[in-house]
Amino acid sequence: MKSWNNARRERDVRLQAAARYAQGKQVQARDVTALLEAVIRPGDRVCLEGDNQKQADLLAAALAGADSGKLHDLHMVQSGVVLPEHLDVFERGIARRLDYAYSGPQSQRIAKLLFGGKIELGAVHTYLELFARYFIDLTPQVALIAAVSADREGNLYTGPNTEDTPTVVEATAFKDGVVIAQVNQIVDKVPRVDIPGDRVHFVVESGKPFYVEPLFTRDPAAITETQILTAMLAIKGIYLPYGIKRLNHGIGFNTAAIELLLPTYGERLGLKGKVASHWALNPHPTLIPAIESGWVQQIHSFGSEVGMDDYIRARSDIYFTGSDGSLRSNRAFCQTAGLYACDLFIGSTLQIDLQGNSSTVTADRVAGFGGAPNMGSDARGRRHPSEPWLQAGKEADPDSPPALRRGRKLVVQIGETFGDKNVPMFVEHLDALELAAKLKLDLAPVMVYSDDVTHIVTEEGIANLLLCRSKDEREQAVRGVAGYTEIGRGRDRAMVQRLRERGVIRRPEDLGIDPLDADRRMLAAHSIKDLVRWSGGLYAPPSKFRNW
Amino acid sequence: MSAVALEQASGGDDATHSGSSWYEASARQRLDGLLDADSFAEFIGPEQRVTSPHLPLFNLPEQFDDGMIVGRGRLDGRPVLVAAQEGRFMGGAFGEVHGAKLTGLLRAARDIGSMPVLILFDTGGVRLQEANAGELAIAEIIRALLEARAAGVPVVGLIGGRAGCFGGGGLIAGCCSALAVSEQGRISVSGPEVIETNRGVEEFDSKDRALVWRTMGGKHRRLIGGAEVYADDSMASFRDAAGFLLKHAPAFGAATLEAEQSRLEQRIERFGACKDAVDVWRILGAAEPQTIPELPDQEFLALAAQLQEPRHDAR
Repeated sequence: MKSWNNARRERDVRLQAAARYAQGKQVQARDVTALLEAVIRPGDRVCLEGDNQKQADLLAAALAGADSGKLHDLHMVQSGVVLPEHLDVFERGIARRLDYAYSGPQSQRIAKLLFGGKIELGAVHTYLELFARYFIDLTPQVALIAAVSADREGNLYTGPNTEDTPTVVEATAFKDGVVIAQVNQIVDKVPRVDIPGDRVHFVVESGKPFYVEPLFTRDPAAITETQILTAMLAIKGIYLPYGIKRLNHGIGFNTAAIELLLPTYGERLGLKGKVASHWALNPHPTLIPAIESGWVQQIHSFGSEVGMDDYIRARSDIYFTGSDGSLRSNRAFCQTAGLYACDLFIGSTLQIDLQGNSSTVTADRVAGFGGAPNMGSDARGRRHPSEPWLQAGKEADPDSPPALRRGRKLVVQIGETFGDKNVPMFVEHLDALELAAKLKLDLAPVMVYSDDVTHIVTEEGIANLLLCRSKDEREQAVRGVAGYTEIGRGRDRAMVQRLRERGVIRRPEDLGIDPLDADRRMLAAHSIKDLVRWSGGLYAPPSKFRNW
Repeated sequence: MSAVALEQASGGDDATHSGSSWYEASARQRLDGLLDADSFAEFIGPEQRVTSPHLPLFNLPEQFDDGMIVGRGRLDGRPVLVAAQEGRFMGGAFGEVHGAKLTGLLRAARDIGSMPVLILFDTGGVRLQEANAGELAIAEIIRALLEARAAGVPVVGLIGGRAGCFGGGGLIAGCCSALAVSEQGRISVSGPEVIETNRGVEEFDSKDRALVWRTMGGKHRRLIGGAEVYADDSMASFRDAAGFLLKHAPAFGAATLEAEQSRLEQRIERFGACKDAVDVWRILGAAEPQTIPELPDQEFLALAAQLQEPRHDAR
């Protein structure tokens, strides 16, 4: 007779094999590697929790310390490749195949391991896409997750950094997988239940907080006047005319400048209450002045941000908080919110090509994009109307009957023509293409595709790609805001002039902006300390951002 | 002396918001905010194009004032000579021209004998690309500064810029008659990265910015007597501090130097075994030393007045 419950039976065998390392659900930190060797089988899909913020660091180290004779050929499915241990497992032959979404600090080493054949790359996803595959063809057999505390039943409190945990646990626990959690401490009663205990098989007390990267903290002191000019252009040339209320910001300094200009420049333009009121956004410290000035109605977050916990707790009208008062974040829901319920995404990039494709992958750095490809894409399934969406749809396709015309999400790339270390942002061909050829990938790792990008903002002005009617116009619109880069100098003057007359390209002066007004004095906060003051002392920045 | 700054401290919160932040300002904006309106006359201004002869050899951009602005002006009606470093140009570093302008100003002060000098420091030290000329400049400046002081000219340093006051700048500051510093200002000879590079991260973690400010920042310098006046970050506060220090600058002579020497010896004796500035503050008598970095300007000034090291005319 055919058996229909093999996976469940196999899970029970694994649990039994592991039981000798546990008392109830509790496992001592020193036994974790042995536990993993008992639970995981060669060839398993393992989800090691970690994204651009929180990290299951103890479990990552325990896995990297496993005997590669016992554990090998694992298929790692995980949001982020961030810790050195995430790559040690490949170097040591414990894992072989990788599907992921984000890599920040490890982007150079990951490139080396890819070129050296130590990693077999599945794909570089966007978060939501990877989460989706957890439920279809990349379901983990074992998930290694992180939480703040657990009780003896295994109920977990994730704290403000809930992030990916519910999604990972959902995909694993309900498909006969094993869930192992590291927690900072075991308590009698958790402050709130983020993950019910019947979805958690083992709990390890690490004794110290799991690692969280303050990735979304931008020091106002480092914002340049050129970035302020780009921010002024975005506010006056995009937020104002489209009336952008629902939006997401990337993590760059240009968008931090926008956040800090809302209470000053935005106020002067009379935009308070008319733009930037509803957000899918991590708790950016640079948004504090806008929140305190009454610009922001509400914010849903992917994760938390180091030092923002007390501020969030005291501003529950703005943030989503749990019964214990602290933030409840959720990456999957927030990515969905960004895709379907936001009218604008604006973010920075490292390279933009002549058609407007952009990527942060360069010749020797395989950065994953995290949420950017999702936030920075048009939701083809969207059906609800909004002013900006309809307006953008009309600009892209003026001739279709309005009732049958799709709207468009505004996807804006913002940056300086010459970026960090004076490297030009505009390129003839993306480095991503070279990388794809070298690694024989079917797809080049493009962050935002050209047909999703609607506007490019630089200090030279705004290119509205929705208004371009041909490939040629598009190219000249890109060249037209590329300034003195080689791409910019290669522009067709006459055509750029015509595009400017049609409003496809708008220079600062076309918008009534004097570049000399782009002054740091216009920022609502000039330093991290100013942000602390704005927060009434509730924001507690990490030491590396202080200058007092 | 703290009372003067105390009265001004209430402006602290507004300083950065209203755009009068000393830390944020350029060297020229600082001179503008410091001196009486329209009183500044520049010597060897940008129109004379006296730039570094060294930087072009390295294909590096020059600046028409070489990052040093010198001239004369008035402070509350009183004529003063001033020098301001532009921290945004090569970190305010001393090169040949940059240094020569300050040397010249100080020699002029010595010869005139009746015009005090204000130095608005904002510097990482000597410019590496013209290191020999820069080091010589530091020596010449110190000599000229001490000659000016010996001629009875008060030389007051104001420190609250982005680059702080490091390297040779820290040495020059140590030779001034008196110093005013803001919380953001840092005064030291070896900078955080230099210490870490030479002595290891265990000795000093330059990325731990709270540690950097505890060790070199304005509050600490004020508490241990390294700076006489603590200013909030506003132009007005630095203006008041400068006015106050010009009036009360100590005389210069053997007695002052000897007092200074014995004060330094006492400092080593009292604090030499401390591992961290917090320990120093505790010995000074602070009940909750760990809260000092977070204290608002006004509360800090009150505390500083209380913890005052025994007064000396020497630093």
